[in-house]
Amino acid sequence: MATTQGASGPPPKPWERSGSSSSGPAPFRPPSSGTTSDVVEASGTAKPGEIVSTSDRNTTMNTNSVGRPLPSRPWESNTGNSSYGGRINSGMAYNSGYGSGMYNSVGGGYGGMSGGMYGSSSMYRGGIGGGYGGGMGGGYGGGLYGSGMYGGGGGMYNSGLGGTMGGYGMGMGMGGPFGPQDPNNPPPSPPGFWISFLRVMEGVVNFFGRISLLVDQNTQAVHFFMSALLQLFDRGGMLYGELARFVFRVLGLGRKSRKISPNGLPLPGPDMQNDQKFIEGPKSAPAGGWDNVWGNDARR
Amino acid sequence: MPVFKTPFNGYAVKFSPFYEHRLAVATAQNFGILGNGRLHILDLSPSPSPTPVTELAFFDTADGIYDIAWSESHDNLLVAAVADGSLKLYDLSLPPPQNPSRSLSEHTREVHAVDWNPTRRDSFISGSWDDTVKLWTVDRPTSVRTFKEHAYCVYSVAWNPRHADVFASASGDCTVRVWDVREPGSTMIIPGHEHEILSCDWNKYDECLLATGSVDKTVRVWDVRSYRTPIAVLAGHGYAVRKVKCSPHRRNMVMSCSYDMTVCMWDFMVEDALIGKYDHHTEFAVGIDMSVLVEGLLASTGWDEMAYVWQHGTDPRAT
Repeated sequence: MATTQGASGPPPKPWERSGSSSSGPAPFRPPSSGTTSDVVEASGTAKPGEIVSTSDRNTTMNTNSVGRPLPSRPWESNTGNSSYGGRINSGMAYNSGYGSGMYNSVGGGYGGMSGGMYGSSSMYRGGIGGGYGGGMGGGYGGGLYGSGMYGGGGGMYNSGLGGTMGGYGMGMGMGGPFGPQDPNNPPPSPPGFWISFLRVMEGVVNFFGRISLLVDQNTQAVHFFMSALLQLFDRGGMLYGELARFVFRVLGLGRKSRKISPNGLPLPGPDMQNDQKFIEGPKSAPAGGWDNVWGNDARR
Repeated sequence: MPVFKTPFNGYAVKFSPFYEHRLAVATAQNFGILGNGRLHILDLSPSPSPTPVTELAFFDTADGIYDIAWSESHDNLLVAAVADGSLKLYDLSLPPPQNPSRSLSEHTREVHAVDWNPTRRDSFISGSWDDTVKLWTVDRPTSVRTFKEHAYCVYSVAWNPRHADVFASASGDCTVRVWDVREPGSTMIIPGHEHEILSCDWNKYDECLLATGSVDKTVRVWDVRSYRTPIAVLAGHGYAVRKVKCSPHRRNMVMSCSYDMTVCMWDFMVEDALIGKYDHHTEFAVGIDMSVLVEGLLASTGWDEMAYVWQHGTDPRAT
């Protein structure tokens, strides 16, 4: 399909049909005519193919007109945050997304390894923070980078550390007395990448350690239970097969009655009719009734 | 309403400016953290049919695709913003092995946004996590110029729909900057939000109005002639607002999507601005678009690996 409309351009935009707009004069220079390349070159601002390396990025220049602390970069994984536009952290799915809980509230994070974090302007703006540990069940303790430390206007660093030990989200630290935005008491700089990374890893190991311990203990308990049962029945002198049949009977499941074929071999398949009879009513067999019950009555 | 399941997590969706039944969906594997990307070209059936959506083509990339823009000059051309820092041009008229027809690698970090100039249709801009915006033309293998002023990742770029030389960029440094490609620096700095600004778009009917969406959960509408205070603050999202889009048909209508998994419609001139809320996504809603050619036709995609197309006022999940 797709008849080529080529360079004629797309159908006119609805707003172009509506004619001119704007509630007053626009603060823009009138458009120049010509191609984009020509216009830019004529203005003297063209700089073809410029590659901006990380080093001459603008952070050092005074272009941060807002004067806010900037969050760490999205790709600076664990301790970074930025989360929202971000790759790694927002990538960490819920952590950052839901971690945004921290923007307004206690408790914050949804869990996970990356979530809440200290960065993002939010923390500096004094959320009660909470960070992320909670959801994860202690992995990387909540308070750590949550308000515990940085939201708190300093001094909370150590109290937050319970988190590192696998504490179950100790995000306390409710914003220091001076408020997080006290210019005289700027938040401490975040720990370096490797330190944070190691802490995260410690949290992970710790977490799975606990999990495996639980699993292990449960398995052992089941094992003990089973072997105790088996021993009991052994003592009782019952054979497992008998036991199983007993259980099935109690459950109302019929045994498989076997018809003996003329050549003396059992025929496959249950004989439902007979089974029904066995289960449902008293047997009227004048003699050998119990033989019927226990099957293999060659006369049938 | 047409629903399309994408194998990867959705990142962006755009209607073709040429064909009302065509749209493109950009996706990235593993939530865009690591892995491949895929660009889907979809065709909607004009009438009800067993297959309301057919996939015209798809293109794989070695890294996630964060954004796409259809060419305004050629119906078969579109450009993808790829997480490896490259921009890739796809020509649907070429056989698949010849695509992408061009790969432009100048950004040193993930490219997060791309927008095609709707008035002077020979150029497009890209915004990247290397803090820069670059201006490209289809006839050159390198960028025409680079705009570097933002102090943090640039998350969104948008051309002014009435001024061929003017565009805006939204950044994690909490500012929106307005640029003129003929000026050496930005012509306007709007410290629009207290938190990172993730998206911006121009009003199509008033060239001075600009909408922004931010981590602070609000959508704000600004008049660039007096940008000290917003002319509207639209609150209603539960988490960060990921994208905003101004309606091509209604002056006062704005669409937004958020990490709260909803897509919202707003009328910023009335008191109760929230006029519609769609919660059809089960994961972050990160990509939205409004059809220029069909009034009220909306599209969205998200990390639940679904792309929806529906008419405003109807249930996107209804089939």
